[in-house]
This record gives sequence, structure tokens and C-alpha cells, in this order.
Amino acid sequence: MYSAMRRRRFMQALAAAPAAPLIAQQAATAPVAAQQGAPARAGRGGPGPGNGPAMLEVAAPDSVAEPVARFFTPPQYAALHRLSGLIQPPLNGNLGALDCGVPEFLDFLIGVSPADRQQLYRNGLDALNAQAKKQFAKSFADLDDAQAHTILQPMLVAVPWPTDPPKDALKAFLFAVREDVPLATRNSPEYAAAAAASGRRAGGGGLVWKPIDPVYRG
Amino acid sequence: MAIKEYDVLIVGSGHSGGMAAKVLTQKGISCLMLNAGPEADYAQDRTAKAAHELPYRGFNQPGRLPHVLQANEANAEQWVDEKEVPYTHDPAKPYNWVRVRLLGGRSLFWARQSFRLSDFEFKAGDLEGTGENWPISLSDLDPYYSQVEAIFRVRGRKEGWPQFPDGNFVDGGMPRPTNESQTIKTFTELANQRNIGVSVMRFSEGVNGLASSINLLLPDALTTGKLDIVSNAIVREISVDKNTGRVNGAHFVDRHSRREMHVKAKVVVLAAGTLESTRLLLNSGLANSSGMLGHYLHDQIYGVSVVASVPEARDGKAPAGIMGGNVFMPRFRNLKREEKRDFTKGYCMLVSSGGSAQPYHFPLYGEELQKTLDRYAGSCVQGSIFGERPARYENHVSINKEVKDAWGIPVLHVDVKDGDNEHNMAKDAANTLEEIFTAGKWDIVSKTDKFYPPGYSIHEVGTARMGDDPKKSVLNRWNQTHDIKNLLVVDGACFVTCGWQNPTMTILAVSMRASEHLAEEIKKGNV
Repeated sequence: MYSAMRRRRFMQALAAAPAAPLIAQQAATAPVAAQQGAPARAGRGGPGPGNGPAMLEVAAPDSVAEPVARFFTPPQYAALHRLSGLIQPPLNGNLGALDCGVPEFLDFLIGVSPADRQQLYRNGLDALNAQAKKQFAKSFADLDDAQAHTILQPMLVAVPWPTDPPKDALKAFLFAVREDVPLATRNSPEYAAAAAASGRRAGGGGLVWKPIDPVYRG
Repeated sequence: MAIKEYDVLIVGSGHSGGMAAKVLTQKGISCLMLNAGPEADYAQDRTAKAAHELPYRGFNQPGRLPHVLQANEANAEQWVDEKEVPYTHDPAKPYNWVRVRLLGGRSLFWARQSFRLSDFEFKAGDLEGTGENWPISLSDLDPYYSQVEAIFRVRGRKEGWPQFPDGNFVDGGMPRPTNESQTIKTFTELANQRNIGVSVMRFSEGVNGLASSINLLLPDALTTGKLDIVSNAIVREISVDKNTGRVNGAHFVDRHSRREMHVKAKVVVLAAGTLESTRLLLNSGLANSSGMLGHYLHDQIYGVSVVASVPEARDGKAPAGIMGGNVFMPRFRNLKREEKRDFTKGYCMLVSSGGSAQPYHFPLYGEELQKTLDRYAGSCVQGSIFGERPARYENHVSINKEVKDAWGIPVLHVDVKDGDNEHNMAKDAANTLEEIFTAGKWDIVSKTDKFYPPGYSIHEVGTARMGDDPKKSVLNRWNQTHDIKNLLVVDGACFVTCGWQNPTMTILAVSMRASEHLAEEIKKGNV
């Protein structure tokens, strides 16, 4: 689970990192513009264009709250937690999946995904636990690395083209996890903060389109 | 209030509509352009964010835009909402219809690869002994291509190859570089030994990285004072004068208020994109005396890929000058009628040097995977293709009256599937790339002859093809419908064959040619 210690570490790193420079610039310049603008006429509609109040600083939910796992069953979640740590351990000085709250995030993401994706994950995690019970009389979460590898190895395949995943459900499951866990790690706020603190770029992103003149749906 | 009657109503604001507006207005003809979506403000409508700031951390909102594989969480808002404007298909026959309704349409986001079609495409019926020729040839379009290439500032290298017609390139064409990497030199030599010509990509520079109707075409049209543009105007139906049988305007719906409106025009030019123009004609019950409207939908196959690793470049030990660069091979198959293969038509290849292997290439995870990726980093050569899908009558669209969009307009049903020709072409391409890479003593990392479903290329064309025979085609050689001379379609719907080439330059050239002809006909009083 998302530990208080990890959250503190994340907050410390964020405090040290020059995060989201563009947004920071906007926040920094807005009050100046508001102060220098012509006095707003206090109409009932509020200040006119260019005379609005400064944007207030708001916190990201990840910085103040713990995610609550609610999609996977406890045995499934425990297997996902163990699997995430195996797929993406801390490497080359970077944070690993467990440092970045990946199991918690995937619990959310898969929980809001289409049914076939949900079934792929649920069946896959159940199969890992079933194999672990059968071969080692333990749950998958309790296996050591070598035992876990014994179960995972037959499910591992090279995939020439990611759009054409394996037809076998277990192989497809492990392929999906091998894609999702590293991406969720790299795109986490923890990973970005740690990378920024050590002076490296990290994660994806870019220019995000806002909803443009969204259609009236009433 | 007296409502103005325009000379020409243009439906759609992308490359084809923008070109029509520019040509017609510059000849003094009054135009109204209706665009189904809003206008984007590049400064206001985009904001820089890191992936972790996005609600789904860069994974995309699950279930949103299932047919738009190009979508990501950052750009999701630029595509048409599939719930707002749905379409249907048999689940066993997937079709990826990728749409943009912002002012400027897909011209805002295209890859800018800029090619002419050749007479291998315009006269494919003659070459292949089956199918139809276009009613026009390269020589008919050549002067228009040249003008389009000047406007879009196309860069390329002149080769003098008939299947790869040279263009009016910026600076007269780029010379062959003298500092090609060793892998590119080796690939070129091995390809040439197999009669495969090696060139470079041709692309539109545009202005400030944008080669769109909103920066290269529509500003000129607006400058004339002869163009009005209305955004958020969703055209429901083209209207017809019952006395003359000629079109006289269109009914449209305001996107927000849903208010029904009608606009009058002496001529209607459809430029809404291949499938939207065809949908509008089908919903209007027009221009289909041939029964060909909606048929011959086709595009190009993407996805075939071969990756190889150069042994001496692994482990970060690549000597200087070994890796880097990319080359482009235009169609080299079936250029002679006597060439016998298990597929017709052809494909182009793109090869780049200096890339890395991907995690899915290896049956590994954790530290072992990372070590392997580190070994292969920067050592890879990758090849991919764009291949021509044949135009088949049975691949078609129709109106599904049971399903309507957010404005109550019946949607399209798409019925398209690939045949042996596409699969055999893909196998040939993958085998050819593998053969050359292996001959270069590079280790194959990955090979696939699979490709994306139809539509993925965003190069869909056909469905209102042009031809001289009104029984076999929807449009004449000037893009007028055979049935109604003051109704034109100037987008990709008019294509007879798509070739392996990005269709944009051809769409622009055809629209320019049709618009110049239309302007003459208007001045002569013929339409």
C-alpha cells in the first residue's frame, strides 16, 4: 500500500524539483498582471477580461491523499504487487514500480477499463496464484524470485508487433503487464520528482489539448 | 433581412476545401465555407503538462477513441468524439475511421510526406490488365502539382524515376548527402543489387512546422474579401431546386444550439473528407445514378516491420559513422506488366538506422531485460512500409438509418475487409527487408508481416470515384458529379487508385484543377 514514508519522500522531492516550469511561470505572472491591470468595475458578473483574480495554488491529489485499492480482490492485488516489483525493480538508479505506487495506479486504471482488459488482468492474476499454490503451496505474493520466475517463464514470449499481442490469454496477460508496469512507473509523479531532483528528464507528456468549444450535450 | 446567395458553398475546411476557397475567391467568386467543428487556438487550447499530471498518466482514458490508435491522452481532444459522431461496422471487419472536425481538419495534423502519384497509379488498369484507369494522367496534374509544391514548400531529391515523379522542390531538390552512415551505405548497396532504388523522404516544410489549410490556403482566400467561414455548422443535407434538378444550397445544424439553418449557393463543392462527403451525398439521395457511390473504399497498409541489430554497434561501442540516418524506397514491385507475383500493385519502404530494440522484442523482464535493452541501444536498423490496398467494389459504405449522431443525422456503416493481395504484399515486404538486413550481416531482432485494420493510415479514398463513364463512376474528370453539374466533390473520395503515396499532394492538385475549371465554367455561365 501507499506508505506515508513514500508520500513524504515524494513531497520532499517535489519541493526540491523545478516541476512543471510552464505552469509555475503562469502562476508567477498572474498576480502581477492582476495588480497592474486597470481597476475592475465591480459588476454583478465579476471582473472583466484581464482583471480576474490571480490563480490560486492547488494541490495534486497524489500529494495529499492515498489511493484506495478497490478493483482487484486482495489475493489478486497481492499478486499484482509482487509481479510489479519483479517486472520493474529499481534499476540504474531509477525508482522501481513499487516506489512509484504502480499497483495502486493499475488497480484504478484497470478498474475503469473495458471489460476485456479487466478480465485479462483478473484471470491472469488468478492463474499466477493458482500456479503458485499448485507448484509451491503458496500464494504468488509469497514466492521468492526464483520460484516466481519458474511460473512466469512459460508465459514469456517475444512480440514482434505490440498491436498483435499473443493469442494465449496468459501470455497476453504477461505481455500487457510488461507494457503497463514500466510505463506506469515512468509516468508516475514519484519517478518524475526523483528524476528532476537528480537533474534528469523523465516521463512523457507534452502539449495537451484542452476541450475546444465542447458541444452542448443537454 | 435578405439572405445572401453565394456563388459557391464549400463544405469542409481541410486541404481540399482550403484549396477550393483559395482558387475560387482569387478569381472573384464569392464562397461560403461551412465547417463542422470549432476553430482551435493553438496558443489558448494547448497547455504543457507532464504525463503524471494527466488523469490517466499517459495511458489514455480507457474506452475513449477505440478506433483512433494514433490518439494519446495529450491529443485526445483533437479527434472526433466517437460517441458524438459514431459509425458502425461488423466487429469481424474492423475499420478505423480517424477524423478531425477542427477548422482546418486533418490538414492540422498530417505527417507532411509529400508525393505525386505516377502513371503507375493513374493508369493502373492498363498496367495490371484489370480495374479502372483514372480519367486523367500525371501530365494533366503536373502543372497543379508544381503549384501545390511551391505553396507547401516541398523538399525532396530528384531521381528521374517514372514511379516516383520528381516535383517542384524547394531549392531545386536536395543533393545526395556525403556523410551517410555505413549502415545506410550498406543498405543502399544491397538494395540497389536487388533493383530497389534508394532515395530520401519528400515532405512539406510548410511554415513554422505547419502545412495546413489554415496557414497556407485560407488566409489568402480571406484576404480577397470573398470568403465567409462559419464554424460549428454541421451540414445535414444538400438542397435541390425541384424545378431544375440542380443543387441550390444546404441545410445545416448549429453544433451547439441545434438550430436548423439553410444557406443558398449556385454551386456546392464537397470537401469534407472522403467518407463525410460520401455520407452527405448518400443522406441527400444525390449523385448515385451509377450505384457506385460509397463503393471502392480503400487506403494503405501500415504496420509491417523488421528490426535488426548491427553487431559491432552493440554495447554502446558503435564506431563513429556506423549508425544513423534514414532512407526511402519508392515502389519497386510490379513496375513491368510481365512481372509475375502473388500480388498486384506495390509498396514503399522506409529504413532508419540508429534506433533501439523495444522491451516487447525480448521474452525477459526486470534486470535481465534492462541489460539486454542497454546492449541493443542505438544498434538497430528498422524497416517499415506503406502498401497500396486495391480498390474493390465490395468494400463500401452505406447509411445506417438505425444509428444517428448527436444531431440526429444517420451515420455510416463501413463494410471493408482485406484480401490475399494485401497479405501477400505484406509478406513480400517483410521478407525483402529481412533478406537485405541479413545480407548486411545484421541480426534480426523482430519481424512481422501483420498490419493495421483498414482506415488506420488516415488515407481513405474512393467512394465517389471519377471516370469518363457515368455508369462506372460518380464524378467526371473535373470532379463534377455526372448527375448534377453544379455539385462537385474535390477531396479523396474522387480517387480511383490510392497508390502507396500519402494522398495529400494529389488531393490538393485535384482540388486546384477542379476549382480552376469550375471558375471558368461559372464565368461562362455553364453551371
